[in-house]
Amino acid sequence: MSKVILLVEDDEDNRDLVSFVMQRSRLDVDLVIAENGQEAVDKALASPPHLILMDMQMPVMDGWHAVPILKADDRTKHIPIIAFTAQAKPEDKARSREMGCVEHYTKPMDPEELLALIQKYLNQ
Amino acid sequence: MVATAKTYATQVSQPVQSTGAQKVQETPAVKQQNKESAKQSLLAADRFVKEGNFEQAKIEVEKAQKLDSSNPYIQAFLDRIAYFETLQKKNAPPPVAASEPPKAATPAAPAKPPVTAPPTPHPQPAPPRPVVQPPPGPAAPTPPAAATPPKPAAPQQKFTPPPPPPHPGAAPAAPDTSVNSRLEEMRAQIELLTKALHQEKLAREEIKDRQLQSAVSQFRAALEKAWVNGAPREEDSQQLHQLALSLALPEEVEVSVQREVKIDMYSRAVKEVVAKRKLLKSSSSTLEWLRKVYQISVAEYLENESKFLLDLVADQYKGTLLLISEDATGRDPLSSKLKMSGYATIIAATPEVALEKIEKINPNVILCEAKFKQSVLSGVKFLHVLRANSKLNATPFILFCDPSEIQDLQSSELRPNEGYVKKPVDFDELSAVMNEKLVRFREYISKLI
Repeated sequence: MSKVILLVEDDEDNRDLVSFVMQRSRLDVDLVIAENGQEAVDKALASPPHLILMDMQMPVMDGWHAVPILKADDRTKHIPIIAFTAQAKPEDKARSREMGCVEHYTKPMDPEELLALIQKYLNQ
Repeated sequence: MVATAKTYATQVSQPVQSTGAQKVQETPAVKQQNKESAKQSLLAADRFVKEGNFEQAKIEVEKAQKLDSSNPYIQAFLDRIAYFETLQKKNAPPPVAASEPPKAATPAAPAKPPVTAPPTPHPQPAPPRPVVQPPPGPAAPTPPAAATPPKPAAPQQKFTPPPPPPHPGAAPAAPDTSVNSRLEEMRAQIELLTKALHQEKLAREEIKDRQLQSAVSQFRAALEKAWVNGAPREEDSQQLHQLALSLALPEEVEVSVQREVKIDMYSRAVKEVVAKRKLLKSSSSTLEWLRKVYQISVAEYLENESKFLLDLVADQYKGTLLLISEDATGRDPLSSKLKMSGYATIIAATPEVALEKIEKINPNVILCEAKFKQSVLSGVKFLHVLRANSKLNATPFILFCDPSEIQDLQSSELRPNEGYVKKPVDFDELSAVMNEKLVRFREYISKLI
């Protein structure tokens, strides 16, 4: 059975790139897209994914607001969330960890690094 | 020289006609002239008899009779003509070459004193003796029809001697012609068959080529589908191989097409990645990962390097960067790192120098120290100068500041394209901030477009 990854990203190019990498990953996964935090919460609560890749700066609802909601709900609190952001300051990393993100992956991305991270949390 | 009877008759008939016209007067002179003309007509008749032209001979005799009915030879001529006609009918019924026998009968004409017939080489033939072989020789009278050469193998010739026995070593003439024509016919047939076979061979080759092309394009389509996201799984590879077998593709063609498709698909993927290189941490490591995904060996990569060269060149260049710093010890290593990352890095020691260069280089990112000892302009003041310039006020601008200055900067209102990095500069942090600002700048530009 395929595992489901929820990619939360407002930038179309980044979405395309992650999708490009995932298609070539040989991982048996389905990628579900959300363009902002609100959409991510709705989709995750409706059908909990196996993993969430969350951009932290987005319109409508950013990751800083969406992650606490997901971590507060019983249906989604167990889902590993990887903060996927350009915000690379140590305080940002610390903040995302405090919220319950398992990793703080800083853009720009490296395909192999990202895939290794995804595999790590999908296999847990 | 042999004068033909016809010519002779024409010559003699002219005076006869004119004489005939004057016959009405019947003067003694005319009478004498008529007798002379009648004699000429009989001479002509004699010639015609010798030629076997009995009809013309009769006409000449009749002419002579009209001119001089008293001529005693007229009846003799008529009898003579009748005799030879009967003989001709009996012995030589008119064959195809009708002119020959009557001509041969010519020597049978009786010698008449008044008829000065040209001497004939043959003795006067006895009536029962039919016709003799026309002898060769200049004296032999030649009929008008003799101008046509006689046919060599005319079987109708009654007295034609039989052909000589064939030479033991030589093929007879008639069979030779027949065999040759048959050979020619067969040769022509062989030529036609050879041509037809050649055309059929070409047609078969063309069909084979078309079938192969069709099979290759079918196989290629299946391969492209399977290779679009990298090397296919083992079971998919097996299915592709089965497809190649069912299409009767030669093994070398299968391998060659697979190799082409693999390189094409990798090349397409490289183009996609290069288009998004600003979102990637390292283009080279991404390309290395892609080569693993598409199973591109070093040999294959080197073999097709020219195909990827443009992509790689494009991949190297990320943009132009202006670095403004008077501290060479910190500035130069950072400049090297930025260059290695793909930025064309231009250095300016002070904001004033930067203003001189900035219009020329039109940078994609500006990195600037917050304080300068050798300049009246600080980094923030320089930022204000740029904000006033409509061409540069959206360009990503990053200040390097001490931790003590951060509070001041945070309190000032920074625009989306503006940011800061604390000193000493951490390269990864700088890269992250630069990329974030570049993303914002792209968004800003795309909204303008």
